[in-house]
Amino acid sequence: MIKLNNIFVKFGDFEALRDINVHVKEGQFYTFLGPSGCGKTTTLRTITGFIEPSSGSVFMAGNDITHVPIEKRNIGIVFQSYALFPTMTVYDNIAFGLKIKKLNKSEIDKRVREIAAKVDLSSEQLEKAVSQLSGGQQQRVAIARALVTGPAIICMDEPLSNLDAKLRVQLRNELKKMQREFGITTIYVTHDQEEALTLSDCIAVFNKGVIEQIGTPNDIYNHSKTEFVANFIGDINKLESAITSQIGLNDKQNHFIRLERIHVLRESALSESGGFEGVIESQEYYGLYIKYYIRVCNQVLKVIEKNDGVKIYNPGEKVSIVIKPEDIMSYPKE
Amino acid sequence: MQKNNSLDAGFIAKIFGFALFVYLFLGFMVLPCLNTLTSIFTTKNAQGITDPLAVVKFFWAGTMPLFVWNSLKLAVSLVITVNIVGISIVLLTEYFDIKGANILRMGYMTTLIYSGVALVTGYQFLYDTNGMMTTWLAQIFPTINRQWFSGFNAVLFTMTFACTSNHALFLRNAIRGIDYNTVEAARNLGASPFRVLFSVVMPTLLPTLFSLTVMTFITGLCAMSAPTLLGYNSINPEIVRLAGSSVADESFPQARAALLSVILAMFTIILLSVLNHYERKGHYLSVSKTKAKLVKQKITNPLWNILAHVYAYVLFVIYMTPVVMIVLFSFQNYPAIRSKMLNFTDWTLINYFGTQNYEYMTSRGRLRTRIGSISGVFSNSDAVGGIRLSFVMSAIAAALACVIVVLAVSYIFKHRNKTRALVTESCLLFPWLLPTILICYSFRIFFNREVWYVFGQNLYWRENVRFLIIMAYTVTKLPFALRMIKAAFYAIDDELEEAAKNLGASPVYTFLKVKLPIILPSVLAVFALNFNALFTEYDMGATFQSSYGKTYAMIIQNMTMEEGREGYNVNASGRRCASTVFIMIVSGIILYLVYGVGARDLGERLEARKKWRQRWAKLTGRK
Repeated sequence: MIKLNNIFVKFGDFEALRDINVHVKEGQFYTFLGPSGCGKTTTLRTITGFIEPSSGSVFMAGNDITHVPIEKRNIGIVFQSYALFPTMTVYDNIAFGLKIKKLNKSEIDKRVREIAAKVDLSSEQLEKAVSQLSGGQQQRVAIARALVTGPAIICMDEPLSNLDAKLRVQLRNELKKMQREFGITTIYVTHDQEEALTLSDCIAVFNKGVIEQIGTPNDIYNHSKTEFVANFIGDINKLESAITSQIGLNDKQNHFIRLERIHVLRESALSESGGFEGVIESQEYYGLYIKYYIRVCNQVLKVIEKNDGVKIYNPGEKVSIVIKPEDIMSYPKE
Repeated sequence: MQKNNSLDAGFIAKIFGFALFVYLFLGFMVLPCLNTLTSIFTTKNAQGITDPLAVVKFFWAGTMPLFVWNSLKLAVSLVITVNIVGISIVLLTEYFDIKGANILRMGYMTTLIYSGVALVTGYQFLYDTNGMMTTWLAQIFPTINRQWFSGFNAVLFTMTFACTSNHALFLRNAIRGIDYNTVEAARNLGASPFRVLFSVVMPTLLPTLFSLTVMTFITGLCAMSAPTLLGYNSINPEIVRLAGSSVADESFPQARAALLSVILAMFTIILLSVLNHYERKGHYLSVSKTKAKLVKQKITNPLWNILAHVYAYVLFVIYMTPVVMIVLFSFQNYPAIRSKMLNFTDWTLINYFGTQNYEYMTSRGRLRTRIGSISGVFSNSDAVGGIRLSFVMSAIAAALACVIVVLAVSYIFKHRNKTRALVTESCLLFPWLLPTILICYSFRIFFNREVWYVFGQNLYWRENVRFLIIMAYTVTKLPFALRMIKAAFYAIDDELEEAAKNLGASPVYTFLKVKLPIILPSVLAVFALNFNALFTEYDMGATFQSSYGKTYAMIIQNMTMEEGREGYNVNASGRRCASTVFIMIVSGIILYLVYGVGARDLGERLEARKKWRQRWAKLTGRK
């Protein structure tokens, strides 16, 4: 559906994007993930046409659109701030693009009401000013406005970043539901790895203007290709030589293990498990799970244990730690 | 092909716009002021030889330094008195817990709708030799000098209370922006209420106070209506007098006027540079993420509390007395107004509407009737003419300033961080550096002949002067319009423009449908505030001094002089009171529209509309 071939973007001497290659398939929910300033928004703006690449090509449905004007690309955009026109009612916001296309009034009305119903906006809400709506309702207006003109794909630039945590989770689910219902190809930009993992069919992880890894959420999380990806996605422990040498790992590499892959057992199980001896330094209670900080071989490891209400360790308690070699991710030292 | 045509049209429009801007900037800003500047150094001495230093020598030899000194004296005195009163009224209504603060605030804010020539004549009405207050004070203190209200004292007293409007607006906002947590923290650390005031509150107000001080100083330096009407020899009235004088009467009056206006400009430029430098150094901003609203402080010492209340209400009386008296006397007939004694049994609308004949006895004992000599402000041809002229000229100038600035700011934002944007902005801010009188005086002198630049027209000649006044009005209002409208443009999120572009809107469509509606409330507010200021504007009307350009303020000024001369305009004072009331109503409505209605967003407007519909349905019994 969308193909980026060897995209380079320069701002003066600064190279914002370096050799970006992406292939977004039809109907896919594709996420650009990375920290601030990594180039994910620049890539999105290159697709939408706000930025023209210094070199490389953008293809949509097989056609080269690198130099096609923004308004002729047939791409819907949901902006970070939603960019809803504050002086217009919800209805006029959604109808804006249709009016520019010079559709007749009855057609505009029909389309606006159809899309409004699909995104769960009532007729009463259509007559309101956007400032009278909640954050979630505003997001639906922004999506409706982007979808009503029938774009081939929809691009979303951190649309949840301005919301509080609870609403963000709620809207994330709605967003995924809507995308499935409409079946529209979606490119989504975020710096929130949890958002990316829960929403996406495919994720491209950006760092310093290049793509470090492209893959499914499972690939990205469990089979991180680079140390940056492993560190950026989820929480992780870097294992020090005191531990790695005991496991027999290569010291020319850095070794990492995810928190949930470390198993904690009672001290009594130490001899059976063949693990390491550890002491609970502190614990954080999250309800669903408990996070322990355990001192093992002069290193503090973070470990997550499911809260079953029975097996709870207290600070100072001695425990047995089990680390399986197949759960360790290793990357060459830079 | 179509694209080429639209490109050509756009290019031609750009070239035309650029040429027009340059033409107007040169013709109505640079050339007249340059002409004024050069006229100082091209005067001829007594021997008829051009002497570049003739005026400068005359300046030091003559009485001219006295005008400069008087203006400086007034400016410095005003800085002290205005700050004392201004800070007092804000602290009394916003910081300390004073009973009746809401009513006090309304009284202190009356200068927002009652200012300029109307205020000066109102004070004159109360405090001059036969004024109500002077008579009342003389009864209490028989030794009082009944002529106390003239010259420096009168100007200082009047302007002290007239110039606190900015304090009432900006200092009030600054004090309301204080994070109350900082006050609580200081109290918690053991500071007394007064220590908190001087060590925590006042330092945060300093930047605002500094700006207000500079603006007050400039206002004092450039004072016009109060010195003219109350008789004080300062720079501005002298410039106006010299502008109307000729070489037959005195030595090179025009060059002297030019020199005085340039001196004024130099002071203004220096002060504004200092202000600009200070503002760039930054402000004290609260670093708190959760600002707490200021809670009014109780004055715990009973004696101080009583004294503060007495002080607050004395100030309230000073502010309110002229307003109340002017309103009451506007409904009184001329004998009551002349004797300045309210007649509670005889109220009239004659000062507003209708005409009456006036009967009087001549010195030879004959009874004469002057037909229609008593007339209301809306039935008097001079007054109506002045209102109409001021209305039309102010509306055109205010609209022109808005149109020019909206187009210019749009251009400035499109070319942000580029030299051309900076140049355009500097051109529009240029009049800010120059005192109004220098601009108007320069216009009057430069265009009072057939000038090639305006196609051989004399713009000071007869009705042409109205065009000149409109241009002067427009030019002087550009900097204010620029500052306000530019701030409004900053409120437009870049993503809105991108969203419109993404949905297929052209730049013109985006401007008209997306950007303009967002900035429109600010543009309308600027229009209304500029119109309000120009409608009763005195300084420029007085500088142009043309019978074809008699503005409303000039008509009001005439009303102070023409009363009762041989039976003419018997109720001129009453008409003046009615005029003042009319001005207060117009200003009040405009301020309500700007800050009340205009400040509402679409949501609030839709809510208000819904409520009106519900009320209407209830009233008509419809569902």
